[in-house]
Amino acid sequence: MSWWKSADKSELACSAILVALGVSILADAWDWPYLTKDGPGPGFFPLWIGISIIGLSVAVAALHLYDVVRRSPVERPNWRGSARVLTGWAGLAVSIALMKPAGFILSFLLLVVFLVMVIFQRSFLAALTVGAGTSIGFWVVFVKLLQVQLPAGPWGF
Amino acid sequence: MEILTNLAQGFAIALEPMNLFWCFLGVFLGTVVGILPGLGPSATVALLLPLATQMSPTAGIIMMAGIYYGAKYGGSTTAILLNVPGESASVVTCIDGFEMARNGRAGPALGIAAIASFVAGTVGVILLMLIAPPVAEFALRFGPPEYFALMAFGLSMVVLLAGKSMLKALLSMFVGLWLATIGIDMFTDSERYTYDRVELLDGVHFVVVAIGTFAIGEVLANLTSNSSQQMFKVPRGLRNLMPNWQDIKDSRFALLNGSLVGFFVGVLPGAGSTIASFVSYGVEKAMSRHPENFGKGAVEGVAAPEAANNSETGGALVPLMTLGIPGSATTAILLAALILWGLRPGPLLIQDHPEIFWGLVASMYIGNVMLLILNLPLVPVFAQILRLPGYILYPVILGVSIIGVYSVDQRLFDTWLVAFFGLLGYLMRKVEYPAAPLILGLVLGDLMENAVRQSLMMSAGDVSILYTRPLALVMLVLTAAVLVGPLFRRMAKWRLKVAEQEG
Repeated sequence: MSWWKSADKSELACSAILVALGVSILADAWDWPYLTKDGPGPGFFPLWIGISIIGLSVAVAALHLYDVVRRSPVERPNWRGSARVLTGWAGLAVSIALMKPAGFILSFLLLVVFLVMVIFQRSFLAALTVGAGTSIGFWVVFVKLLQVQLPAGPWGF
Repeated sequence: MEILTNLAQGFAIALEPMNLFWCFLGVFLGTVVGILPGLGPSATVALLLPLATQMSPTAGIIMMAGIYYGAKYGGSTTAILLNVPGESASVVTCIDGFEMARNGRAGPALGIAAIASFVAGTVGVILLMLIAPPVAEFALRFGPPEYFALMAFGLSMVVLLAGKSMLKALLSMFVGLWLATIGIDMFTDSERYTYDRVELLDGVHFVVVAIGTFAIGEVLANLTSNSSQQMFKVPRGLRNLMPNWQDIKDSRFALLNGSLVGFFVGVLPGAGSTIASFVSYGVEKAMSRHPENFGKGAVEGVAAPEAANNSETGGALVPLMTLGIPGSATTAILLAALILWGLRPGPLLIQDHPEIFWGLVASMYIGNVMLLILNLPLVPVFAQILRLPGYILYPVILGVSIIGVYSVDQRLFDTWLVAFFGLLGYLMRKVEYPAAPLILGLVLGDLMENAVRQSLMMSAGDVSILYTRPLALVMLVLTAAVLVGPLFRRMAKWRLKVAEQEG
């Protein structure tokens, strides 16, 4: 099983996820008419898409394993720093969750303060300055000048 | 000679002070909405429809058309500077435009985009003026099988967008095709892949996917280090912020290719600027002596799609003005405006109301010059955005992205989707699945499915309709050539290697 140790697990995991997506697409398409009296039904196109995704995902995984078995050089993604990325993404998700109760301006300000302090490791003052500057800038340009509707909090912005 | 007389009359109308003002207002508003992702020209034209109908038809159509082609100019700005494609046609501009910005060449990229837009916009107007009626008749010969073949040709461009792995590019495209099936099936009214979410009944908007995978994915990919340095080099001095002679020389064929592809694709109702920009990029890369530079900041990779995107406007006005057929959401609103003015768009419009057609044509020449004057001086100003350190620039990109997505339908659900596609975009970068084929599949999937189903309805299920009509056959042969071409190149390389080893 030395080939298993050499294989890039993220590559195989991607293929497995895509096979699962393909099976799910196929399963739904199976329930819809493939052909109707007027021509192709709603299941026609998705069925072939599902089959293609399964086939291609298996081919990607098989080619990768073939390279591993042949001992060809395998490029691996560098996952260093991914924890910071996931932290930043979590901050974005929390900010979106806050948009309905708190409005865009406040939730975006909090997001920027979080990113600048936690991810970029700047001082609170710098974070607050950037957060307030960008939030107010967006509010003036988009809400006031361009009349774009953004989620508003109980205080009207 | 008659054309010149008509054009002279058109200029006399377009150069009236009030018409000049409406033309300027249109192109200015167009540039602004083009820069902002999400707020597209169709929404802006629709918002101004009540105002335009109070004006004379000539002034109104001049202003509304100004917004339409002005937005195409602005669309490249955020694509190049922030990797935020404001419209689907700008996705291709992101590929090399953003790479140019990374290499410290944001100014030349923006400059060449403005020059390409000007050249192609002007070529589009010239073609609109000279060959509108015969080309419109040709476009009418496009039935569902021909559209299927055209979409297949568009999708074959995935070959040229693939990075290291063709299989991964194809997978990305098929996932895009699947995303395009989400929502209500227009043929049977049945829901597909909506998972009981009302928000998914209309499908997934390409803006959400494009901004997520390109812009948010890019921001996330840059969060791996806490470097607060300026993210991109921006050279000092005006000369370094503008395209040089070599850039223009390198782009000359791209300008021609983009202008012609854009116009002829634009003439086809429903085809749109996305397919035009992808096809012109593919043609440029296929014809280039240095295809290996594409995707790494090739100036031709910006010039070709930007030219196609802008020339498409002239093409799209052909079926509208000569046949009364709108090919896109914006031209549909222009059609509504013409009807509200009491005009009957169709073959007699140019004959009965030459002042409208020729006034519009002349105003488009003037509008393109206005846009160049408006945009080129702004290039050095916009390029300064990249001087911002990462801890300011990335929050700005996030803010523009969220606002751009939210402004499409004012739904928080879309902001959740953009966050999801952002994470997906980051993961795709890591495992080297290209994002552009995903957008290609999403944008063309719907059109392709409709074309296949309509074709098979016409033929009562006989598949041969897809490849027996001459135009469709020609395009399918071209598609096959594009798909098989890389295999032949690989075989030739392999034979050369074997010959070297033996010799």
